[in-house]
Amino acid sequence: MVGRVLELVKRKGASTGRTPPAGSAPTAESLSALMDGQARDLELRRLLRHLDREDRAGGEGADTRRADAARATWHRLHLARHALRGEQTFAGVSLLPGVRAAIDADPEQRPGSARGWRRAVGRFAVAASVALVVLVVRQGGDAPFIARVAPLPVGVVNTVGAVPVQASYGTRDVPTLQPVDRDAYRELARQRLRRYSQEHADHASLNTPQGMLPFARVPVIEQQAASEAANELDERQVSGSR
Amino acid sequence: MTSAHVPAIGSSPRRRAALAAVVAMLVPGAAVAQAGDACAALDPQVRRLLAALSDRPRLIDYHGVVTLQRGGDMQIMTLSHRVIDGQATEELSRLTGQDARVLRYEHPTDCMHPGHQLLQSVEVRGEGLCDLAASYRFRVANGERIAGRQAVRLRVEPLDLYRFGYVFELDRDTALMLKSTTLASDQRVLEQFQFATLDFATPDPEPARSRRAKTHYKAAHPHPRESARRRAGPSWRVAWLPAGFMPTDRALARSRRKTFTDGLASFSVFFESLPRAIKPGEGVEREGSTVAYTRGMILDRRPVLVTVLGEIPTNTARMVADSVRLQ
Repeated sequence: MVGRVLELVKRKGASTGRTPPAGSAPTAESLSALMDGQARDLELRRLLRHLDREDRAGGEGADTRRADAARATWHRLHLARHALRGEQTFAGVSLLPGVRAAIDADPEQRPGSARGWRRAVGRFAVAASVALVVLVVRQGGDAPFIARVAPLPVGVVNTVGAVPVQASYGTRDVPTLQPVDRDAYRELARQRLRRYSQEHADHASLNTPQGMLPFARVPVIEQQAASEAANELDERQVSGSR
Repeated sequence: MTSAHVPAIGSSPRRRAALAAVVAMLVPGAAVAQAGDACAALDPQVRRLLAALSDRPRLIDYHGVVTLQRGGDMQIMTLSHRVIDGQATEELSRLTGQDARVLRYEHPTDCMHPGHQLLQSVEVRGEGLCDLAASYRFRVANGERIAGRQAVRLRVEPLDLYRFGYVFELDRDTALMLKSTTLASDQRVLEQFQFATLDFATPDPEPARSRRAKTHYKAAHPHPRESARRRAGPSWRVAWLPAGFMPTDRALARSRRKTFTDGLASFSVFFESLPRAIKPGEGVEREGSTVAYTRGMILDRRPVLVTVLGEIPTNTARMVADSVRLQ
């Protein structure tokens, strides 16, 4: 699907001399079909034609606005789709940062490196690819999708918007990491509980009356400095307690 | 095993005094210590009981089986405590769930961490100890029979909403905590530790030594006067603490973690600096009396993630996280 879109984009880019045939604006149906992987070549061409025409008709500002409008439609469709599937966790994600990120990260699509409609079409195609990648990740199972995307120092916070980004595109929607809603933040809290419980127990066991019992609260005891601890234990086992 | 083991009871004037205090204090009958003024002293009986709870069990040998109940979940573990030459070696070994042992080696019995100083009414802040009496109401009563031992009940009710309540059942002779129940403000039981068996004989080290758990953890001994690890990061501070809480160690302003205790409860604050902006929000995970509250926010344009983890109500954790500031 993505490959097809990109292929079309390339083909369009190669044939710059041809005047695009007129067509109607991309409808919600065609965007929806594109998202579902159901779009026929005809519909794809229609979408691309539309962006092409927009680009020729308007200047830089108009182009940006229209491209944004298309992306906004894309975004809304995603929300609707996820709502239909009962995937509440996704409801707050803005795809725009991810889309912009991908666009900005692609040297081919930087302002000045391509002209006119090519850029607009490219943006849309990248938007499609980003969104589809997200869908694939999300559909992979029940495990928290955020943990599956490329790792960041923080771990979970990585979502669609977490691609390295130049913040130079436009003036709004500066890309952010987005732990989107309560579920994502709860997953953060859950991970922190596992990660920090033992260190907390070190202190709790020395500063509360329950002695060593705070360690019983640690979900999974980690063997810190495993080799050193083991060596020390072995020495003591051999030599007896002093 | 050498013969260097020193009998724990009655071997020093200090210990004799402590023992006398325990005996004098553990007279059956109910007494109520009520916090009067903001800085009212603890009732002497309660003060002695808390001091004994903090001091006595650290000086004696014991081992037994302990259960931990949280919700519908029960864990079973063995606990042992040995004192040799003024140094305590403790071990917690899980019998259910994860095959893990936690050991703390040779902790000097006179090493007093802030939490125990608060329990023992030692002046830790210079203003005298009014913290416990200002934060909790204590009631002493006859206790249950637990693990074959008769207990004294110490009911601990919080005077504000920032901490939980407790019912401690202390061994009548040694003040060892035989049972500990943590109660939410609606009196829901959040967590319960309880000895199932208890033996005050010197634990035989052999079975434990021959048994190899998959996971050994040697518990850290963070010294109260020394900072924990050094870490590059921004300096930050916790601007609000519930009354009665104090730091457990002198963590550097840049330290990733800072821990606080009021003598009965403790919580740690963990600070993470994020590489990129984060959509502000909060998440809560609770297991028994332990809460992990994680908050993403922007401080001085710097995206940070603050986690408060400890045995406190969620709202306390939220307020603490909310007060974190960059310095």
